[in-house]
Order: sequence, then C-alpha cells, then structure tokens
Amino acid sequence: MKGRLGHFLVRVGAIAAKEVLHIRRDPRTLYMALVMPVVMLLLFGFGVSFDMERIPLAVADRDGTGASRELVDAFVAPGEFALSHRSGPEEAHELFRRGRALALLVVPRDYQRDLARGAAVSLQLLVDGADPVTANQILAKADAIVRSVGQARALRAGLSGQLPLRVKVYTLYNPEARSAEYLVPGLAAYLMAIAAVLLTALTVAGEWERGSMEQLFASPVGRLDIILGKLLPYLGLGILQLLLVLGVGTAVFDVPIQGSPLMVFALGLLFLVGMLGQGLLISVVTRNQLVATQAGALSALLPSMLLSGMLFPIENMPLVLRALSYLIPARYLVHGLRGVMLKGNGLAVLWPDLLALALLAAAVLAAATGRFKRRLA
Amino acid sequence: MTASAARRPRLARVQFAATVRKEVLQTVRDRRVMFMLIAAPLIQTIVFGFAVDFDVDRIPTVVADRDRSPASREHLRRLLADGTLRRSAVAGDAVEAERLIDRGDAAAAVVLPPRFGADLAAERPAEVQVVLDGTDPNRSNVAAGAVSRYFGEVAESMVRERLGRQGLPPPASLTVTPRLSYNPSLRTAPYIVPGILSMLLVIVTTIVTAMGLSREREVGTLEQVMVTPIRPLWLLAAKMTPFVFIGLLDVLLVITAGSWIFDIPLRGSLAVLFAGTVLYLLSTLGVGLLISTVSSNQQQSFLAGFLFALPAILLSGVMTPIRAMPAWLQAVTYLNPLRYFAELARANLLKAAGFADVWFQLVALLVFGVVILGLATARFHKRMG
Repeated sequence: MKGRLGHFLVRVGAIAAKEVLHIRRDPRTLYMALVMPVVMLLLFGFGVSFDMERIPLAVADRDGTGASRELVDAFVAPGEFALSHRSGPEEAHELFRRGRALALLVVPRDYQRDLARGAAVSLQLLVDGADPVTANQILAKADAIVRSVGQARALRAGLSGQLPLRVKVYTLYNPEARSAEYLVPGLAAYLMAIAAVLLTALTVAGEWERGSMEQLFASPVGRLDIILGKLLPYLGLGILQLLLVLGVGTAVFDVPIQGSPLMVFALGLLFLVGMLGQGLLISVVTRNQLVATQAGALSALLPSMLLSGMLFPIENMPLVLRALSYLIPARYLVHGLRGVMLKGNGLAVLWPDLLALALLAAAVLAAATGRFKRRLA
Repeated sequence: MTASAARRPRLARVQFAATVRKEVLQTVRDRRVMFMLIAAPLIQTIVFGFAVDFDVDRIPTVVADRDRSPASREHLRRLLADGTLRRSAVAGDAVEAERLIDRGDAAAAVVLPPRFGADLAAERPAEVQVVLDGTDPNRSNVAAGAVSRYFGEVAESMVRERLGRQGLPPPASLTVTPRLSYNPSLRTAPYIVPGILSMLLVIVTTIVTAMGLSREREVGTLEQVMVTPIRPLWLLAAKMTPFVFIGLLDVLLVITAGSWIFDIPLRGSLAVLFAGTVLYLLSTLGVGLLISTVSSNQQQSFLAGFLFALPAILLSGVMTPIRAMPAWLQAVTYLNPLRYFAELARANLLKAAGFADVWFQLVALLVFGVVILGLATARFHKRMG
C-alpha cells in the first residue's frame, strides 16, 4: 500500500516537475502571469471610482441678483460642480448643447423676488443623460445643494432652529467609503480566474495541439497522475498570485484583513482547485488553444467579473442571471473574501461559501476527469 | 524590366486576393472559430446588457420598527415604496439588525426608535437610525441618500404644516426640475452597449490575431508562406482583411441585438460608425500583430493580449467614467484608442453625432492606427527578414 502511494507520488511529482520546467523555460509567461495582477490591482485601485468631483456645469442666470449668485456659489462649492464658463444665458445654452458642460442650471427671472414672496420656485436643470452614472450624480448633487440652500434660507428667515426629524447614519466596515476595499477582494477572484482557468486550458490544449499528450499516455503514468501533475504547478502559481494581490492590496491600498488569514487561504484554495478543473475541462473539450482562450474568457472571465458581485450588485440583476450566479464559483469567493477581510467573519458565517466552492470544484473536476477518460477510449 | 513592372501591381492583386480567399476559407471552415467570432460577442453583449446596471436599487434592507405604531408602519411602507430599498429581513432592534448585516443578509438597516409615532405627533424631535454595510461605497451612498431624502421631505412638510397652523406664512419652497436629454430614463444599456462594442472588438481582433499569428509561427506555416513570392506587406494585409469584415459584422450584430433586446436608440448614421470601426480596427489589429512579433508562443500572445486589453478597457471610460479618475490617469486615457472609439460609438448611437461632431475622434483613431500598424509591420519585417 505504502509502495503504491509512493509510486503514485513519484509519477505525479515527475509530471509536475516537467510542467515546472516548461514554465521555467518560458519565464516571460511567468512574469506576465505575475505582473498582470499587480498592474490590474494598481489600475483598479487608483482608476475605478464612480465618484466625480468638478462636473462641468453651465449656468444661465436670468435673475442676476444676490440671491441667484448665492445659489450659483453653492453649486460651484469645492467638491461639487465646476463652472465651465461664467457667461450669459445664450452662451451657457450653447456650452451645454456642444457637450462642454454636462448640466445646465437655469435660474428663472425674478428668482430673488419670488423667494422673498414665499412662492414656490422651481429651478430648471438640463442634464446630459447619455452617461447614467454621471447623470445620477448630477441629480443627487443638485438635489442636495438646492435642499440645503432652501433650508439655510428658511432658517435665516427665523424658522424654528431644528428640524423635527433627523436621520443618523452609521457605516459599518469601510467607513471612509474607499473603493479599493471593495474592489481588492473581487479583483483577487478575477485575477485568479484568469491564471487558473486560462493558463491551464492553454497548456493542456497545447499538449493536444502538438500531439505530445498522446505521447504522455503511451508512458506508464496514469491519467490521474497526468491531471494532478499538470494542475499542481498552476495551483502554486495561483496561490502566488493570491498572495501578491493581497500583499499589494494591504501594502498600497491599506485593505484590512480583519478575519483569519487561514480562512482567506481556504477560500482561495478551494476556488483555485475548481478553476483549474474548469481549465482542464475546457482544454479537453476544445483541444485548441485559440478556441480554449475564448471558451475560457466566456465561461470564466466574463462571469467572474459580471456575475460575481465584484463590480455590480447581484440583487440588481434579472432573475435568470441571479439564478445563474449561484453556479459561478467567483460569487462565493468574492462574498467570502469580503466577509473575512472587511467584516472579520469566521466559519460560522462563511461555511456556506466554503461548501459551495467545494461542491462546485468537485463537480467540475469529476466532469473533467470523466471527459478526459472518454477522450482517450 | 518595364513589362514586369507593369505586371507587378496585377500580380500583387492576384496574390492578395488568393491569400484573402485562403484566410476566409480557413476561418469559415472552423466552426468553433466562427462561433467565437460571431456568437461569443452576441452572448457577451446580452450578459453585459442585463448584468451591468449602474442604477442601484432593490438594496436588501433590514427593518427594525421598535415603535410598531400605525404611523411607523406607514412611514416604513412609504420609504420602501419606490423600490430603492427592499425589505429583506425584520429585526427587533439595532443589535439584531447589525448581526444580519454582518452575516450578509442585508446591506442596510433602518431603525425607527420606540415612541417614534408619538414623538412625531407631539412634535418632539425624533431620530431615525440607519446602519450601512459600507463594503460597497456606491450602494451604501444610495441607501443613505434614499432614507435621508424621504425623512427630509417628511420633516419639511411637518414644518410647513406647523407654520400653517400658527398662521405664519410658509417659507418659499425651492425645488429642481431636471430635464434629461439623450437617455431620459437613465437606463444603463444605452450607455454600456456602445462601450461593449469597443471591448468586444479588442477581444475578437487583437487577441485572435496575436494568437493566430503565433500559432502559425509555432506550426511553421508562416515561414512556408514567406518563401512564396508574396510580399510580406500584402500577406499581412490579406490576413487582416477578413477581420475588418468580421469586425464590421460584429458591430452590426451588437447594435441590432442592442436595439432589439435593450431598446437602445440608433440615432446616428451607420457610415460614421463604420468609418470609426475601420479606423479603430487598424489599432486593434496592429496591437495584435505587434504582440505576435514579440511573443514566441500562443500562451505568451494570450497573456500579452490580456495585459493590453484589460488596462485599455479599464481606462476607456467603458466601465467607469473617465472623469472620476485621478488627473494623471485621465491624461493616460488620451493614449488609449478604446477611449476614442467608445466616445465615438456613444455619440453616434445616442446623440446622432455626424462626421463634423466626431472628427477629433476619427483623426485620433487614424493617427493611432497608422502609428501602431506601422510599428508592428516594421517589427514583423525585421523578424521575418
């Protein structure tokens, strides 16, 4: 028994060593596989944000009084809008039409007089709706500014000092609302999916393409040995990537790991095994590197980014996609990593994620080995 | 000499046509390649269109009504009525609500204090507590905004009522009436589908060209073709030509699917979009060619392709607004052909932009295309020669 296990380990080790040699002989692949996560993480961390400051605004002030200037000043306060040009109403309309300003505020004639009379004053705001993210922010900002200007006026007019109802907001986890804290766990999933699925799919498909797979079969190593031997080095590479992403995330972006690092590791390992299995499955089915790339991009990268909740909340999606997301391992990894890293969740909360990752990994590995055997028969 | 010089252009044309024919046949014959050039972009458009939604709503919310009066129930009902917040759980108090957020069962909690209704009726100050899961800053902002807005309006109308009862004149009310142009209901699809176009074309053309040429080098067929009399320049042109048509076909497919499934408007002229596409393809194909000349195998080509594509997509304004990036990164986006194509496609589809409106983008794409393709061809020559 011990002898058989020993032989098994020797064979797997031999295949793994051969694969490591392949990777070592081609250091550029290795560099790119390790540089890519760092580049992506830095770009995502610095570049991805939905918060805009200084959105260009044109103002058509048809009133031109102290009150209207006070209103405009509130709009162009730091962190709000940037006045694209202080000019007459006609020029303001032209700026907006030409897209130089994304919003146009029209202050009606008699603004000051109507306010003093206690009338209902409505300001017109024209918004370029082509980009809904920007447009929504313009609407929210304008609404808040006008509300506070109105309240300030009311208070000055001698209205009771305090509003009868207040809303107090407490933010748990990530209180400074930094996108990096949100993105790093999601990005770890995405980058590991690229390496694990695509690199595996490509190497194994390459062996089919060149015909060297048949040569391996002719040798005394078994199929399971080949599979395990091929996957092990990539498992190592994936773990290296995970550590790299977490290292850069904590060092550069100050992303915390509140919970146990062991839990991070367990989640990452289960995810990687499943992704490697998926890569293997793709390579067996396609046997062609070009097709394997696209199959991998379609079945692993796209869902890992879109259906995992990494960028867009899953509960906003239509029912079909929400249902589909339960089959995407990245969904559980992203949820799990955010739980451990930001909230400090432990096994009590995260066992469903671990279980789901394990089940999905087992299913895809079974499918891959099954296909692998049939392919040879 | 003169006779052969006269025959040369015709010969080149024949060689070019023959190579294009070979490339087209080779591509069309492989059903899997056809699938990935035609069906994959369609699938991606559909998934993107449905999955990407910048309009955050249905935020799972725990409700802790510690008052349980008709007034508190009515306020909660109205708060949840517009669909921004969705009641996902009910808790007895703030501690239980926090535990539910901790477990990930909800992203926000609204806690109404005991005697909430009675305090409001008696005009004693009351305080609503909102607890947020800040993991997703965007979502927590929206949740906080929805609650603040609703209770702000309630407070304002209460003040108005009180002043009215005291016989005082109400203060002037100040509101904004927004009017939205181009995409009045602020749907995400009309914005994201033109962006997807620029992404898909990179994946289909850059990565496929880079890997395809690497594969030919691996198998050795490129060397075989190089010993035939065809000139390298014509060979490259012939290899790229089918992709230009596939690219145009993909554009048609995506905008057709976009207008059928997601009801995106197609306001501009197709000529502008096609002109932009062809100029854009010069860049994407050029990058693919460049990558193939620096890679020694398909794996390297693929990785290099991704190393180009991912940052290019990220810095194009397709997923997140360029304006939200730090200034130095905004400057970098001017070096990104994707940025110009995404702008052009959006302006064309949503704003009916004509040649006069997007001439800058067209010129930028032309310049990038010529420079990148020129560099790539020079490298290809050097490597083959």
